[in-house]
Amino acid sequence: MDGLTYALDAVTTPSTVLAAAGGVLWGILGGALPGLSPSIAMALLLPFTFDMSPLAAIILLTGVYIGAEYGGSIPAILIRTPGTNAAAATVIDGYTLHQQGRGGEALGLSLVAGTIAGLVGLVCLVLLTAPLSALALYFKPPAYFALAFLGLSIIAALSEGSLIKGLIMGVIGLMVATVGTDPLSGVTRFTFGEPDLLGGIDYIFVMLGVFAVAELMSKVAEKDGVEGGAISKAVARVKLPGLRKLWDLRRAQAIGTTVGIIEGPIPGAGGTVAAFLSYNEAKRWSKTPEKFGKGSEEGVVAPEAANNAVTSSALIPTLSFGIPGSNSMAILLGGLLIHGIQPGPMLLTSRPDLVYGLFGGLFMSNLFMLIFGLLVLGPAIWLVNRPKPYLTAGIFMVVLSGIYVINQSLFDFWIVLIAGIIGYGMRLLKFPVLPLILGIVLGYMVESNYRRSLLLTNGEHRVFLENPLSLGLLICAGLIIGLAILSEIRRFRRPGIAAHG
Amino acid sequence: MHKATLAVSAALFVLAVAYWFAADAIPASRLAGQVGADGLPKLLGLALGVLSLLLAGQTLFEMRRAAAAGQGEDKGEGGDRLPGSWREHLRALGLIGIGVGYLLLLPHLGYIVSAGLLLAAVATYAGLKPSWATLLFAVGGGVVFYLIFVKILQIPLPAGFWPGLLR
Repeated sequence: MDGLTYALDAVTTPSTVLAAAGGVLWGILGGALPGLSPSIAMALLLPFTFDMSPLAAIILLTGVYIGAEYGGSIPAILIRTPGTNAAAATVIDGYTLHQQGRGGEALGLSLVAGTIAGLVGLVCLVLLTAPLSALALYFKPPAYFALAFLGLSIIAALSEGSLIKGLIMGVIGLMVATVGTDPLSGVTRFTFGEPDLLGGIDYIFVMLGVFAVAELMSKVAEKDGVEGGAISKAVARVKLPGLRKLWDLRRAQAIGTTVGIIEGPIPGAGGTVAAFLSYNEAKRWSKTPEKFGKGSEEGVVAPEAANNAVTSSALIPTLSFGIPGSNSMAILLGGLLIHGIQPGPMLLTSRPDLVYGLFGGLFMSNLFMLIFGLLVLGPAIWLVNRPKPYLTAGIFMVVLSGIYVINQSLFDFWIVLIAGIIGYGMRLLKFPVLPLILGIVLGYMVESNYRRSLLLTNGEHRVFLENPLSLGLLICAGLIIGLAILSEIRRFRRPGIAAHG
Repeated sequence: MHKATLAVSAALFVLAVAYWFAADAIPASRLAGQVGADGLPKLLGLALGVLSLLLAGQTLFEMRRAAAAGQGEDKGEGGDRLPGSWREHLRALGLIGIGVGYLLLLPHLGYIVSAGLLLAAVATYAGLKPSWATLLFAVGGGVVFYLIFVKILQIPLPAGFWPGLLR
């Protein structure tokens, strides 16, 4: 009952309602801009959450994530350019429907399918978070260390590119986290006499650099045209489907929602995989598979339901274990840590107000998506139609202004610019970003629990093997790394493939 | 891309060694417990060293396989060339150059003027031709950003030398 009270409190507090509305609005506009992924849209807002209450901040960020997943379908349907990766599957039938003069209908299907899936995903999140958090009682410092180690192993093993590159980025992330004053002994480390480094390198600046600045650098480098999207204003109206239509499309809706809920918690899978998988499954189970690719409504409903269901279910590992499975979730985790909130098994026990308040916020955000989806199509089209250099300049200015919000220090600008150069280099050389971010975010959790565990046994490492939970998690981490190594060896043995790296 | 990856492996190895020695120089503290402030950093330095050597080994192996398969030196991503041209990468770095220019000008010219200049510079650099529209975008954008950040959000961004002229 307390949980419901917290959720109701969130949906009736003006600051959280505004945060949900603002987040969804920004998310739809950001998602509609090709190249501005949900994670970048979230990262741009991160500095502004500093002065907000933790609940409002986290609702704002999840609102952006939810809004961006719908926003991505707008250019996917209207100009055959997905605004987000997850909207790529929507292009296939969404754009064909638009060519047939049914663009408004396709947008309406995307909006309603996404809202329904988001709400069903939320129910699953509510039902699963409490049982998973019951594990909290068994978590001691060795288990926390092993959990963080497992999280890093999973992300490094499943990241795009080679396992070694993933592990290297995870280690570098942990190294960055060691800069500053050691929280346990008060000794300064790797500051080189620079007072601005005493507090460490804030992960927000690294995130802004490797996500937003690196993306802008890529855009400027490619010089991918000056003109905007050229969407006709004639289609600036969303046509919502009726109940009969929704009933007819229930199979695709159910497939998309189920696939999204299952894929969401899996690290590295995310909305893109879920959208394509559900598109294929919807086609396989459809009574009219021949319509797919030729303007099938089911071909729009299934992927849009999937990528919106992911927005809720992806929160399960983030909230329950403190392990984000995607870039967007890593930024959300950063948003929680900014406010001194450590996600993980103890979160529901220590901050039920925040967890249940977030559930209320997610409910609001899904409803706001339906409302703003209808209202902001015109502004979104206007924005997509602007010449790209204006957008590049505007986003760069938002990044540079946002940095100053946090510490009011010019030193932080340098960190962001350097992180941007490193992020750009990582893209070129195919080093994954997520392990780096996760290493920085989990750095404190890894080190503090490692050292606390050894305090209990006078420096004996056997403590990690004596704790059953820690042992189990470390075995899982070992298995994941082992399987990833086997998979790499098999890849090398295949002639021709190794040559392509 | 192989040569670039090899160079990065070497740089990472140097970083690992330097990091390990920097960790070794961290002073001991009585508050540190069984594992001092240098404990995990030394472990990380060692891990990075090993991983960078493994990356170099993997890359050399890939190069040998590519050579044995008869693949030339410059065959796209699997070969030795980085994606994109040097001109493109320099263009990308140019954006950072504009950012550095903004940083240097900000304390002197203040936020509103620096923001306008940055907007104009980036928009032009990204492909727009200088025009009245670009100028309007820069001036309007500078004012809008000033109103949002300084007036509404109350962020004390540098005002530059302008207030001194008014005294």
